[in-house]
Amino acid sequence: MSKRILIAGAHIIDTAEQLVLEAKGYQLLPMKNIHAAVSLVLDDPPDMLIMEMAFGAEKDILALLAAVKGCLQKTNIPILLVLDEEEAVSGLDWHKFPADDIVVRPFSPEILLTRIALAEARMIRVFDNNPLSKLPGNTSILRAMQRAIDADESFAVCYIDIDNFKPFNDRYGFSQGDDVILMVARIAVNVVDEIARDGSFVGHVGGDDYVFIVKEQYVTEVCERILSNFEVVRNMILPAEDVKAGCYIEKDRQGRETVFGLLSLSIAVVVTGSHHFSHYGEIATIASEVKHYVKQKEGNNYMIDRRSQEVERPE
Amino acid sequence: MDSEKRTKFRKALREVKNLPTLPGIISKLTKMAEDPDTTTEQMGRVIAKDHILAAKLLKLVNSAFYGFPQKISSLNSAIILLGFNVIKSLIISSSIFELMESQDMELWEHSLGCAVVCSVLAKRLEVADPEEVSTAGLIHDIGKVAIKMELRKEFDAIVDDVGAKELSMLDAEKLRLDLDHAEVGGWLAKSWNLPPKLVEPIACHHNPQASKDEKLVTAIIHFSDIMIRGLGYGHGKDIWVPPLSKSAFQMLGLTAADLEEILTEVEEKLWDVKGFSLEIQSELENSV
Repeated sequence: MSKRILIAGAHIIDTAEQLVLEAKGYQLLPMKNIHAAVSLVLDDPPDMLIMEMAFGAEKDILALLAAVKGCLQKTNIPILLVLDEEEAVSGLDWHKFPADDIVVRPFSPEILLTRIALAEARMIRVFDNNPLSKLPGNTSILRAMQRAIDADESFAVCYIDIDNFKPFNDRYGFSQGDDVILMVARIAVNVVDEIARDGSFVGHVGGDDYVFIVKEQYVTEVCERILSNFEVVRNMILPAEDVKAGCYIEKDRQGRETVFGLLSLSIAVVVTGSHHFSHYGEIATIASEVKHYVKQKEGNNYMIDRRSQEVERPE
Repeated sequence: MDSEKRTKFRKALREVKNLPTLPGIISKLTKMAEDPDTTTEQMGRVIAKDHILAAKLLKLVNSAFYGFPQKISSLNSAIILLGFNVIKSLIISSSIFELMESQDMELWEHSLGCAVVCSVLAKRLEVADPEEVSTAGLIHDIGKVAIKMELRKEFDAIVDDVGAKELSMLDAEKLRLDLDHAEVGGWLAKSWNLPPKLVEPIACHHNPQASKDEKLVTAIIHFSDIMIRGLGYGHGKDIWVPPLSKSAFQMLGLTAADLEEILTEVEEKLWDVKGFSLEIQSELENSV
């Protein structure tokens, strides 16, 4: 399948470059304005973005970058900025412009091709993402936990676990189970992004286990919002009868009739500021204790281990 | 049946891509998106008042790319799953009517009014998910927008027929296109992967007997559509109130006393709609 590259800017690709790239199997998608470019990212995301700063006002450039970086269907769309030398040495703020690489004018078509190939290779290298949710996997999670330990501020490391997930799968099938896994991932990412974007992280351990890390001051609000949003979405996907009953009866694996609760979330939270952690393994140990307690409660719950204080959310 | 004509128009309508929205709504949402204190819920509340943006949001969350085809039937869930950034992008990517006509505003008011009646009825009849019913009510006339945008010449002829031949818009559409807006709305909803729970009420809102799996929701949309028209709420050139299906009305099981109460409740809620409509209009005047 040919790789599709969104070209944002009128002076990026000339005929020679176009021929070289197309000969290598790249499909170029030149977009006239920000409106068309964002539309493409939403409806049919490209595999890469090449943009020049002259594409639009700074506000528009940032909107397109945000659309690409926030694209849920394809994570890790590489962004290549084409700059004049003046722009390149002007000290652009790379936190503000989350580009993956730059090419400085003038350049030959072959250089552009090399940069594109390099950007693709780098993306594959850093990719330990979960294939279903596209969230970062274990390597990234451990790294993020270590960062939280090493930071001066106090962070909350939060483990989400879906309750009654196995009986749900048995009753409604694995494909529905996958939907739920994806939904929880989206809910967590969106809530963390909205309430506690700065310095935060969301990762997917695998199956129905996730980890997110936010600054301690946001943790209560984030947990409560995740749980209430989950409830809204869960009540939409479950059959109305089950929601009304609040449970369902099904034969368990030994053939006995058993009452199962509806899907719910348990979040176990460990705060880095209240302990002297030096290694992420220590967080995991305490988290599993907290998890044990929070899982025993019915319905959606979170519990924060601050050693001095425990919080429960009544449903 | 002139199937060739039908196929031709059907093909044209399939091409429909970016349905335009009212400029006032977009300028309000753009301002909200730029304000760092705006929450996703606040934006969601505005989007839930616009039939075009609501349809786009559902199309997006149900697209194969996002992983939930035919699963998401409520706007609240769509907003929770898409998140603030995607909603912001949706607003940037939305197009607006280049030439605003009074009928666009009227159809918008009609759609929102219909959603209000649907929500009152759904709660009263204790439907499992009232929000889903009001969502279906909000986007039930999406086919009209598609016909106007993609088949402008035919649309003008349809409007002429409505006046000159005293036809309902539905009959005029059938005459000119061999199709009608309910059918068109149904295909669009289906081609956007919206859940069958929404597709069927849209497709059958003028012919509720044809509904198979969603009889009650379809009957609610059918009745709400007529009720809001009866209240004189935004006809958008469709000047004749469509006929009420007796069986659909019976299905709702409403007595005269019920209707009285419903009417009072609806009229109260329509004040909010009026207020919002004025706000959007002044937003438009300020932005020009």
